[in-house]
Amino acid sequence: MPDVAPRGAEPLVLKVLALAFTVFIVGYILVPILVTVAMSFNDAAMIRFPINVWSMKWYADFFGSPQWMDALENSILIAIGTAAISTTSGVLCAWAFQRFHIPFRDMWYILIMMPLFMPGVVLGLGVAIAFGGISIGGYAFYGSRELVMLAHSLWAMPLVFMLMEATFKTIDYRIVEASYDLGGGPVRTFFEVVLPLVSTGIVSSLLFAFVISLNEFVMALFLTDRDTQTLPVLMWLSLRSAGTPRLAVASVILALTVFTCLTVIMLWYIRQLRKVAR
Amino acid sequence: MFLLWKVVNDEGFLPLADVLCLPGRAEQECPCDPRGWSKSLTVSTALELRNVIRRFGTVVAVNDVSLNVSKGEFVTLLGPSGSGKTSTLRLVGGFENLDGGSILLNGQRIDHLPAYRRDTATIFQSGALFPHKTVAENVAYGLRMRNVPKDAIMKRISESLDIVRLKGFEARYPAQLSGGQKQRVALARSLAVRPAILLFDEPLSALDLSLRLQLRAEIKRLHDELKFTAIYVTHDQGEAMAMSSRVAVMNAGAIEQIDKPETVFHSPTSEFVYTFIGESCCLPVRVTSAGIEDKKGQAVGLRLGERLAEGECRIYVRPSRLRLISEAALLPNQLTARIHFIEFLGDLYRYHLKAGALELAADHAGSIGHGVGDEIEIGWRNEDMRVFR
Amino acid sequence: MTDAVRIDDASYETQRTAQERRKLLAPWILMLPALVIVLVFFGIPTVYMVRMSFNLHMDQRLYVPGFTFEHYVNLFSNPLFTNAILTTIKLALVASLATVVIGYAFALLVWLKPARWRLLFIGLALAPLLISEIAIIFGWWMFFPKNGLLSYGLLSAGLIHEKISLMYTEFAAFVGLVYVTLPYCFFILLSIFDGIDKRLLEASADLGASPLKTFREVMLPLTWTGILVAFSQSFIWTMGTYATPSALGPDTLWTMGFLIQEQMLGKHNWPMASALAVVLVIGVAAVMVVTRSMQSERTSFHA
Repeated sequence: MPDVAPRGAEPLVLKVLALAFTVFIVGYILVPILVTVAMSFNDAAMIRFPINVWSMKWYADFFGSPQWMDALENSILIAIGTAAISTTSGVLCAWAFQRFHIPFRDMWYILIMMPLFMPGVVLGLGVAIAFGGISIGGYAFYGSRELVMLAHSLWAMPLVFMLMEATFKTIDYRIVEASYDLGGGPVRTFFEVVLPLVSTGIVSSLLFAFVISLNEFVMALFLTDRDTQTLPVLMWLSLRSAGTPRLAVASVILALTVFTCLTVIMLWYIRQLRKVAR
Repeated sequence: MFLLWKVVNDEGFLPLADVLCLPGRAEQECPCDPRGWSKSLTVSTALELRNVIRRFGTVVAVNDVSLNVSKGEFVTLLGPSGSGKTSTLRLVGGFENLDGGSILLNGQRIDHLPAYRRDTATIFQSGALFPHKTVAENVAYGLRMRNVPKDAIMKRISESLDIVRLKGFEARYPAQLSGGQKQRVALARSLAVRPAILLFDEPLSALDLSLRLQLRAEIKRLHDELKFTAIYVTHDQGEAMAMSSRVAVMNAGAIEQIDKPETVFHSPTSEFVYTFIGESCCLPVRVTSAGIEDKKGQAVGLRLGERLAEGECRIYVRPSRLRLISEAALLPNQLTARIHFIEFLGDLYRYHLKAGALELAADHAGSIGHGVGDEIEIGWRNEDMRVFR
Repeated sequence: MTDAVRIDDASYETQRTAQERRKLLAPWILMLPALVIVLVFFGIPTVYMVRMSFNLHMDQRLYVPGFTFEHYVNLFSNPLFTNAILTTIKLALVASLATVVIGYAFALLVWLKPARWRLLFIGLALAPLLISEIAIIFGWWMFFPKNGLLSYGLLSAGLIHEKISLMYTEFAAFVGLVYVTLPYCFFILLSIFDGIDKRLLEASADLGASPLKTFREVMLPLTWTGILVAFSQSFIWTMGTYATPSALGPDTLWTMGFLIQEQMLGKHNWPMASALAVVLVIGVAAVMVVTRSMQSERTSFHA
């Protein structure tokens, strides 16, 4: 009979360690979240603990402030734009890679993925330098929302591409062939058969791109001006100067926007599953 | 912008119509007639393959295949995997490109056309139904692509589902259907467009036995009723024999023999066809002046009715054609062998026999009263034996 | 019938070549939007930036066209910059190490736990990703200072006697940095773990190995490449960071990211900012190449 390790002491130590670690990690992740949520309901003007009076005062302040509401509006508009741009280009590109033969495929793949590995500072700097002062048809490009959307797409589009590439690989190509076989041309097949097959991938892509853009602030810092600044940018600029619970409210609003989208997507997803698998 | 459009649309307005799904394309490109079968074929030869070649790298999947399919014929491509039957079918369907030769449908070359411009309809192995569309939408798909008017589509859907006995299933989704039902919808979907030729890509191999037999009979019935033209690919001999007007046995990318099922079964022209169709036993022997010996050089008690030329050859017999003991005595070809083991196959007993290095099997309806280890006589007629060198 | 074919041959050829041309063009049309984005908004700026790093900078102007290496020389000789480079690397190394260790433990925990916990923990790990970095910074910004939650909590618990501030310390920057990078590390490692058959652990225990031995002999070798990938990803990410350390850390904690921003927006010295960016990117690329080669060595060893 081979030596059996002495049971008893070790598993208990491990169990305790595991529990302690679990507490630690849960606490670690939740601390900033809880702190922010708590502070957003603080009535006082200063950020300090303990919180003596609770109220929704700063929420009212946030929704009443044009500067902050504009920033929120900018953020959402830019996020929607980024989601649209990056999902469209990412999906089309991934389909091209899946369906067609492309010369120097690997090289193009690396090229498309490259921006993902660049720090936000570098990307923001590059775009700001290259497009600083450029205007198209009288409309100032630099400082515009559109430029930020495109800059954010530098990160979002490769992610969409990666996700959709993996998704396209999972579809049963015979179904696509069936569509061709019955007379559906490439364009019709794409819209009527392929896209519905990968609808979950597309929705996930839209969500990813939206969240990335909404939360991003380094590139936005370089590329926005006073009129187009996004909420995270405004928060960053206010950090040093005005440390009020309004910032906490802003954080909560930002997070709520993300969670609302997430919930909507989840509900849609569940409805989809129920429809097809009944 | 205009230049780009011009370059992309060298063919003229057709691709643009493709994109915009304009009417007018239907009449120009698609010879299929929503009103009936026979009008869509103007010549009696529906499909012609001329010296078709298809390569995958260094492997030649389809090796100079020529085939004519007449209107209303049901031709089966039968063969083991890798024989090129599926590749041939996919070439006709337009899912793969030729490396040589040509394909004519209804007298016109189609091998340059993409799949969506060919008047073919394929029934895939897994059905390949659109999972996000209902049964009705699936069946309607091909008709919509051909810009058939809406009321005609509705009529055609109910006709097609009726034919495959799935009336009432219009609103169901593929996920709610059984395997057999899915294949019937696939059939309805392809029948609905009344193509010049139907292509079956091993549609029954994913189903269990009873379902397979059931659908096999259905397809045959449909063919007798509608008289469509079809190419059917399978590795199952039973299917091939039961359903086809002609069977083409394929091996290594070429058609070894193409004939009526009975002819292929009773008069195979090559060793491959003989061994592939039905069951057979192989007796590899060497004929010398002194007698007949097996591979190891031992003499075997094989007495043949006709003298064979000297040299190595392979003698083939079928288990069902061998006679045992008393019945063997009167036959011109006889062999003495020892019973190795006995298999009970329900309807009959199969006796596995050994004679020196030779092994064979003989079927008999009842027990013959001998057991393992006994030596018995086996006999067969001249016409039940084939010799290949 | 042969006549029909012969007449068709001419139109057949034209149709066929048009078809082939379409097939060649199609993928490029599909890839066009993505390529435009990458080439115009990444390719051009990169080229621009590299070119800019060689420009001159005089007085208060953004840049003066010219060609000089002075910014690079300055970068590597001026202690201001060299310190920043070293600080960045040091911070990135330490933060990555901690992230990988914590991430590994976390992923291990989730992987070994039964399924019903898994979803909860994945949701938890997802949280920092869904929250903006600025919100995270702000969260810790309210936790560390004298009047923050940490101080209040410890005071109330009686563990300390006067308010304490960990704000603007290297530790705070470190904590924030790990927080931001942890989710990526976690998911990379978790997916590696999912590729391992749990029964290997059972087999190891069955053969008499203690949990620690099993970890060392079975888990560690199998997940080694995963650890490398996670580490390099964290390292690359933290090298480029700028907001978290500068907000939470002391004013002396200058990272390259911070310097780039300062040179760009503060000092309006575009060439210098570009030079810094170029050096940063080359550093990041070097790390990626090194990790990639280490990975492939490993896999060829296995094969």
